[in-house]
Amino acid sequence: MLSLVTRRLIRLVIVLAGVSLVTFAILQVSGDPIALMMPEAPEADRAVLRQSMGFNDPLPVQFARFLGNIVRGDFGHSFFHREPALPLVLARMPTTLLLTGLAMGLSLAIAVPIGIVSAVRRNSAFDHIATLVVFLGTSMPVFWTGIMLILLFAVRLRVLPVSGWESWAALVLPGATLATFSTPLLLRIVRSGMLEVINLDYVRTARAKGVSEWFVVCRHALTNAALPLVTVAGLQFGLLLGGAIITETVFAVPGLGRLIVGAIRQLDFPIVQAGVFVIALIVVLVNFAVDMLYIYLNPQIRVR
Amino acid sequence: MDAAGSAHVAERSRVWRKFVRNPAAIAGAFILLVVVGAAIFAPYVAPHEPTRQSLIRRFTPPVWTDGGKATYLLGTDQVGRDILSRMIYGARVSLLVGISAVLVSLVVGVTLGLLSGFLQGGVDTVVMTVVDVTLSFPQLLLALAFVAALGPSLFTIIVVLGLTGWERYTRVVRAEVLALREKDFVEAARAIGASPIRTLLRHLLPNTFSSIIVMSTLQVAQAILQEAALSFLGVGTGSAYPTWGQMIALGRDFVTVAWWLPTFPGLAILLTVLAINLVGDRLRDALDPRVG
Amino acid sequence: MKRFILFAAALVLALPAAPAPVSAQKDTLTVALVSHAPTLDPHMHFERVGILVNINMFDSLLHRSTKLQFEPSLATAWKAISDTQWEFKIRKNVHFHNGEVLTPADVKYSFDRVLDQTKKSPQYGNIRAIKEVKVVDAETVHIITDKPFPLLLERLVFFPIVSKKHVEAVGDQAFGTTSPVGTGPWKFVEWKRDQLIRLEAFDQHWRGKPPFKHLIFRAVPETATQVAEVKTGGVDIIRDVSADLIPELKTHPQAYISSTPILRVHYVNLDMRSAPFDRKPVRQAANYAIDKATVIQKMMAGLGTQVATTVQPLAFGFDPEVKPYAFDARKAKELLAQAGYPNGVDVTLHSSSVAYRPVFEAMAQMLTEVGIRATPRMWDPGPAWNKFLQAEGKATQGMYGTWGNYSVFDADAVLHPLYHNEPGGWIGRWYARVEGLDKLIDEARSTVDQPKRKRLYSQIQQMIREEAPSIFLWTQYDTLGISKKVQYAARPDEWLWLYDAKPAAR
Repeated sequence: MLSLVTRRLIRLVIVLAGVSLVTFAILQVSGDPIALMMPEAPEADRAVLRQSMGFNDPLPVQFARFLGNIVRGDFGHSFFHREPALPLVLARMPTTLLLTGLAMGLSLAIAVPIGIVSAVRRNSAFDHIATLVVFLGTSMPVFWTGIMLILLFAVRLRVLPVSGWESWAALVLPGATLATFSTPLLLRIVRSGMLEVINLDYVRTARAKGVSEWFVVCRHALTNAALPLVTVAGLQFGLLLGGAIITETVFAVPGLGRLIVGAIRQLDFPIVQAGVFVIALIVVLVNFAVDMLYIYLNPQIRVR
Repeated sequence: MDAAGSAHVAERSRVWRKFVRNPAAIAGAFILLVVVGAAIFAPYVAPHEPTRQSLIRRFTPPVWTDGGKATYLLGTDQVGRDILSRMIYGARVSLLVGISAVLVSLVVGVTLGLLSGFLQGGVDTVVMTVVDVTLSFPQLLLALAFVAALGPSLFTIIVVLGLTGWERYTRVVRAEVLALREKDFVEAARAIGASPIRTLLRHLLPNTFSSIIVMSTLQVAQAILQEAALSFLGVGTGSAYPTWGQMIALGRDFVTVAWWLPTFPGLAILLTVLAINLVGDRLRDALDPRVG
Repeated sequence: MKRFILFAAALVLALPAAPAPVSAQKDTLTVALVSHAPTLDPHMHFERVGILVNINMFDSLLHRSTKLQFEPSLATAWKAISDTQWEFKIRKNVHFHNGEVLTPADVKYSFDRVLDQTKKSPQYGNIRAIKEVKVVDAETVHIITDKPFPLLLERLVFFPIVSKKHVEAVGDQAFGTTSPVGTGPWKFVEWKRDQLIRLEAFDQHWRGKPPFKHLIFRAVPETATQVAEVKTGGVDIIRDVSADLIPELKTHPQAYISSTPILRVHYVNLDMRSAPFDRKPVRQAANYAIDKATVIQKMMAGLGTQVATTVQPLAFGFDPEVKPYAFDARKAKELLAQAGYPNGVDVTLHSSSVAYRPVFEAMAQMLTEVGIRATPRMWDPGPAWNKFLQAEGKATQGMYGTWGNYSVFDADAVLHPLYHNEPGGWIGRWYARVEGLDKLIDEARSTVDQPKRKRLYSQIQQMIREEAPSIFLWTQYDTLGISKKVQYAARPDEWLWLYDAKPAAR
């Protein structure tokens, strides 16, 4: 098992190197970074700066330098804020993580029970309606859902604050909006995972032995569904982070997504790079953790 | 027609029958037909020029509400343009972006999957690493960053969306190629001097066809939503013929005084994506021999 | 079970982000802005949202009343000693938020800071004409300009004075982020980037305590969200309310609208270097093509005034005798044919005024209808737009924009940047090529003889009306959406001077 973990770790490092390369490419592809930093300056000044900041060096050299800087946590200074980019990004990360975690939690809380019932009462009206409603969730653009929820709960019904991040109540709407993003797939996983085993022999045997129906369901079937659930949940995390960007803009949540969107509008590439890298890093780490979890939960792989 | 051929035909009609049994899928297919039809026949179907303004008629509500006019079924926008016409033309662009992006993904993904499966070894490792790297970025974020860097244009958006969604094809194709390599008939083909590659490809296509079809269908839905998100965040193309996403982005500030502005394009996205999901989902079930 | 551990771990990691409840008490005033400036240092940015926050934390030498008269602020008296020298008496017993007392040395330091080119202040161009600031005695300061500078007093209305000792002690960086100390009615408490700036009443403020104990500036980027916030009382004041949203707020039981004409003028600058706008008849045709009255009525809820040139009615030097172009589509077509375009011509227009996009599109349509087939291109404001402009003024063939004059009520503040050809000019150096205009502008800004300046500006306005280097449009109003819990009125200088805001009588 140790060699398996080691192999995974090596892959982690390689993937991170690839992530760095893509992040590096973002700035290069934009054209002339110096023109962005000093739009007012005459060309002569810019040429000097270009040389001194190493933008005239061959690309591999620039990339190597970029990698070296990343390892030390140096993503340069934000063009707009004039402060180091990485600390600005890291300061906003917990908020986005909280939002994403909340959405994930809500998703699971909804997907698991409904998925179970759907599987047990397969093809019933409940099943069909649940599937349809959940489909609706994936088919609506996230920002649309957000605006609609604001209109309904905050303006019409006045039960929740419209936006911001100043109270626990303010978390509800953004969290719920984002949750509509990920619930459908999770629900399907639970449902199909359960369906796979619900009629299997060992479950039928348990039933025959007189064990209560729900106990059978929860213990045996759910354990089977847990594995793909964990894997997919890990993958969903990346998707959720994408959705979080939009949700944060609609609800004025001061998270990393909004910072990056603002930076993109400003063409403030150090922040864009730092932000993109940090998010990719989180996704990679989460997937790695999920991988490890998978190995732990799945005895077959371990034995090999 | 040989035995293999007639087996295919029987298979296809069985698939069709399974598909047709589901009312949701039928409804979905119907909606898609309407959308595609609108896109193709836009100039004939749209009641007005989508760019025709009329300041006196700005913010006309839909026909069934107070103040609505029969000429503007779904109302007009902030400069008096007919919402319905804009939506019909919008179907064109939205579908164009969605389908083109998926085509890009398809071509890139399948090619890489083939290369990976055939050549194995170093090439395979590199490709799978690239897949892992691409998966580490939320698609929207990557699309945003690159579209901003390259400058927003329809072409850029299609290419960027296409280049951030190809992994699934690669995985499927690669897995299939690897599985087929082991089969006896490949060895047999090599023995009689026939090219093993051609044999492989002949058998590859039918086996992966269904997965690819289903994935592509669902990817189009994804692409449409992603484009809407990009428009919302302000990296749209700013052309005279907006996509549905852009219509929502432009109309969202007025949602409290002219709810129809963002609502109808939003509904269009909703119904189209829903339809695609229903059809794709049912297609998957129909093509899967295990599900009855 | 493991996955719940993972989930819990993530939550623990996220705890620092846990929301901190804000007490929505009656003594708190909350204002929504679309964003925050990158720094709180009043000398190191040029964003309107930054200025709005700064004026409530920092004082300048002069202040402006709601009737646009100069009022004493940190300067109690002032007079011109010569054409190039002014004397200011500095108010005594003014305290900074950290307890220090204001001295003329602080005044000198504040100016030197911006004039020091190594500091790269974006506001340098505004006070470039100041050669030196001299401390004469414990309550007097002299400001010396290199040429007569008629705009000096205007510029001093927004020139915040900072504490020399404090800034030197904490450094520029910290001054702009964690300890912006000034003499204004509110003092700094905290800044959560992109979320809120929290200020607290400064009890020792020389004017007396402000009516509200707490002042919060929230960053709310979405218009729909802002409107929803004002309706539900989450926010007390929002600005830049679009004309179409006015009826909704006007009739809402918890909110009202306050609107007043401001300097901000709309225009479409035409590129005179190349076809077709290098020909005068074409430029004039463009002016005749726009139905200004309809746009103002239908799209701006009547909150705007047509203008003959870009010089605004509220600015010094405005000549009401120069009349706006009438709407005359027929004449426009004639002029176009005269210029050699009987079948019309294709042009592209650019704009980054996102809030006025519908107006932009409507104008493009109007131009198209007379034969100037205009394709409107929208840009996101910000560096992409700047990059586009800087690239040798690539925004041909025309650019729709708005100009706020930096709240300077003087014709020079719009004429110079828009039309002057010197490198210090802004748009002018790319587009405008009006014969003799530069000389007149220079003359008018180098003298303090106001009647002479007035005559020169009349001459200039007639000249540019005839030459039409721009499509002249209209001035707008500043519209605020205010909660009924608060009493406040919009100002003609587009400022949010919240010292004047009071809790509504119950």
